[in-house]
Amino acid sequence: MSYRQARWDEPSLWDLAHAHAPEAAPAIPGVPERFRRREALNWPELSEPTVVRHYTRLSQMNFGIDSGFYPLGSCTMKYNPKVSELLARRAGAAQVHPYQPEATVQGSLEITWRLERLLAKITGFHEVSLQPAAGAHGEYTSLLMVKAHYRDLGELDRRTEVLLPDTAHGTNPASAAMAGFVTQEIASKNGCVDLAALRAGLSDRTACFMLTNPNTAGLFEDEILEIAEAVHGAGAMLYYDGANLNAILGVTNPGRMGFDIAHLNLHKTFATPHGGGGPGAGVLGAGETLAPYLPVPRVAKVGRKFRLDYDRPKSIGKVKAAYGNFGLDLRAYAFILAHGEEGLKHVARRAVLNSNYLAARLGKRLPRPFRPLVKHEFVLSGAPLREKGVRTLDLAKRLLDEGVHAPTVYFPTLVEEALMIEAPETESKRELDAFAEAFERALDDTPEHLKAAPTACAVGRIDEVRAAREPILSWKDMRAASAKVETP
Amino acid sequence: MVRWISDEVGEETALLQALGIASVDELFRDVPKKARLGRMGVGAAHEESEVVAQVDKLLERNRPLGRFADFLGGRIAARYSPAAVDALVGRSEFSTAYTPYQAEASQGMLRALFEFQSLWVELTGLDVANASLYDGASAGGEALLFCRRLHEGQRFLVPASLPWEERSVLTNYASGPNLKVEEIPYDPRTGRLDLDFVRKAVGAHDVFGVLADVPNGFGALDEHLFELKATIGDVPLAVMADPLALTVLEPPGNYGADVVVGEGQGFGIPPSFGGPLLGLFACRREHVRQAPGRIVGASVDAYGRPAYTLTLQTREQHIRRSKATSNICTNESLMALAFVVYASVVGPKRLAALQASLAEKARTLASALGSIEGIRAPRFEAPYLGEFTIELERGTAAGFLDRLRRRRVLGGHPLADPRPGAPKLPERILVAPSEAVGEKEIARYATAAKAWASAPGGR
Repeated sequence: MSYRQARWDEPSLWDLAHAHAPEAAPAIPGVPERFRRREALNWPELSEPTVVRHYTRLSQMNFGIDSGFYPLGSCTMKYNPKVSELLARRAGAAQVHPYQPEATVQGSLEITWRLERLLAKITGFHEVSLQPAAGAHGEYTSLLMVKAHYRDLGELDRRTEVLLPDTAHGTNPASAAMAGFVTQEIASKNGCVDLAALRAGLSDRTACFMLTNPNTAGLFEDEILEIAEAVHGAGAMLYYDGANLNAILGVTNPGRMGFDIAHLNLHKTFATPHGGGGPGAGVLGAGETLAPYLPVPRVAKVGRKFRLDYDRPKSIGKVKAAYGNFGLDLRAYAFILAHGEEGLKHVARRAVLNSNYLAARLGKRLPRPFRPLVKHEFVLSGAPLREKGVRTLDLAKRLLDEGVHAPTVYFPTLVEEALMIEAPETESKRELDAFAEAFERALDDTPEHLKAAPTACAVGRIDEVRAAREPILSWKDMRAASAKVETP
Repeated sequence: MVRWISDEVGEETALLQALGIASVDELFRDVPKKARLGRMGVGAAHEESEVVAQVDKLLERNRPLGRFADFLGGRIAARYSPAAVDALVGRSEFSTAYTPYQAEASQGMLRALFEFQSLWVELTGLDVANASLYDGASAGGEALLFCRRLHEGQRFLVPASLPWEERSVLTNYASGPNLKVEEIPYDPRTGRLDLDFVRKAVGAHDVFGVLADVPNGFGALDEHLFELKATIGDVPLAVMADPLALTVLEPPGNYGADVVVGEGQGFGIPPSFGGPLLGLFACRREHVRQAPGRIVGASVDAYGRPAYTLTLQTREQHIRRSKATSNICTNESLMALAFVVYASVVGPKRLAALQASLAEKARTLASALGSIEGIRAPRFEAPYLGEFTIELERGTAAGFLDRLRRRRVLGGHPLADPRPGAPKLPERILVAPSEAVGEKEIARYATAAKAWASAPGGR
């Protein structure tokens, strides 16, 4: 084991600066005194090199996809092409205000228009909107559209339920509840939707069934056409959570599978950087029934010009300021342009090949709860680790010491001590083999070492219970805590 | 084939052999034939150099802000960001990481987010900030739902001066649980909130929250802000505040705000045609378990060293599912990093000086426009900082802005809702001189406005 992350005893920003006596903020002519900040903002005055060194050191204590393999299941952590970063920083992309007159933003409008059409082809949908800022935002927007649709049909009072499988991402039930629906979980059978259970759950109260395909167990829902038929038979809508689209690019698509609406995560399948938690882009695709409800504005092409169209009487309105996360849309556009038809198909094929290879190899060491053929990710159960007195969490922490990121853990919840592993198309066989060896070393390590891990990261195992029990959530809390210690 | 897909010599064959299959096709045998695609029709692949050329060609059809005197502003503003900000934000250890689920390997981003939270706490005068939401408008939506968790009721009051976009977003966040967004009328002379209306509405016992914005949708500062909390009592007060304004204005926590949200784009984030933006959220300590989104907390590691981690996660969707305080998962962490780096590189004194200088530019322009017949500038008799509203007594906002554009002036943002069927409003424009604007550009604006006034219909 040779990995070691940087470990700086880096003080916080406020400890880098001399304390300065509180003074009032400057007075602004014409602004009455009562508006004026009595004590100027309490934030350190630092030199630029001090700030640059501080954040450079912090960055060295952070693991990104450029640092190493990142097999975080359902997050599709693929390499983020550098050329996209270059393009998003062009003045013509970054220094453009959303409220500029249409005539001065024809480039942005055209890129939006083109990307919407490319994504419509990829997803098999009638129309695409780039407005939602992230996947969960897209889910919520879609459910409002579903609601508006049933209001128009006069069925909203009755259709109060959203069904979802027990493998669904947590955002699905959370979005449904936010949209005012009652959620009902459908039990899985062998990792896939139990069609009989779904049929039993569907009724004229169902507004929508939300499904990820391939699902979070990494399995393709091979009864998808029957599922779509059952959902539509009940007069309900079928929602596609596009988190796992990477596995099926060019093979099938949500439109073809019978879905009515979908969100896609541009920060997964289309390789826009996830920024340590965001930004994302949760674009929406909708079939003919729901497309009229998409947020405004839409980008329209009139002759050779592009304009913003607000004349969509059925639209739900807006879910975010301006239009979409254009900086990310542009990166996704570059990604699609570079790959083309064949490249996108190859993305899915290689991602699925990688994951099946790794699944076969690691499946020899830990149980795989479902059928062996997976798509872009697979699930292992860490339950046997209990025999040596350790848990999946310990294995995950131990993997960090190998210079890789850990898989997603404890999800999906129907698998005991779950580990969810994804190996996108950008990973070489060498990287997969190295990960498999690291995984095996970690499994074979002593319980003491596993429990003591990580030891090669910037910090050791963190006391999360303390963080939640005695929340210290800002500098202000730190000041209060240290004042308490000093004056008992 | 694209270089980004792994294509090391012979590796695909080796992978297939290891799986004992002849073709990748076998891995897709579970996809029903009837669901298979032919062609998608997305065109051919391109070399990286061709991608650059094609995208650049499209971007050339944009005319970036640098070509104009920019008075657009509003909640989204173009400001100069020191090069150090993007150099740090662009470091791929930050930008290519996922959400810091493995805290020990992600201390850099967690600490930066903790510093970001600390900064929004200092700016707002509240106790707890989260690690970001999507943008200011959707943060307003989350504030609405947060207020509903604190207080019973069906109605959420917002200023009638709130930009239509934000009202639309708030209405959509309210529509899930079937809540109502209701407008508080304003005094036509000063733009101030009608406190009598607020008092009566709250008296009817079905208001669960009240929103005010600083500056308001007209760019004005409303002295009634300081009376709002006393007027509404235990009904939660939400404030939507501009972070730069808060470097010189009294923190909303000091006049009774229970939740403060805002748009953080102006701090180190380019306008990028409207996204990514940055939603800011802060609340009082006693309500932290009702807050939406991720929160970073300080703790210690196994050796007692300071360490940071995502905390209080039992509020969140991945644990609580349908009982979560919000559905948000991905937020705007990298933009939060930009926000705190920008503020730290520029420093609090220069930030306050920047706000003072923008206010001076606004005053100079407002007084020049105020002397032009046919333009009421500023429209409302109220104090303001860097932005103000003008009202045209004849002609249209679109016509006025078009005439200015011909002189390379982006003269502001029309306040009317552009959707067909929206209520007809006076021809009002929010005008906000950008940081790049100087005396020359202000004079150009005034000259162009005078020319318009002398012939509003003409070319």
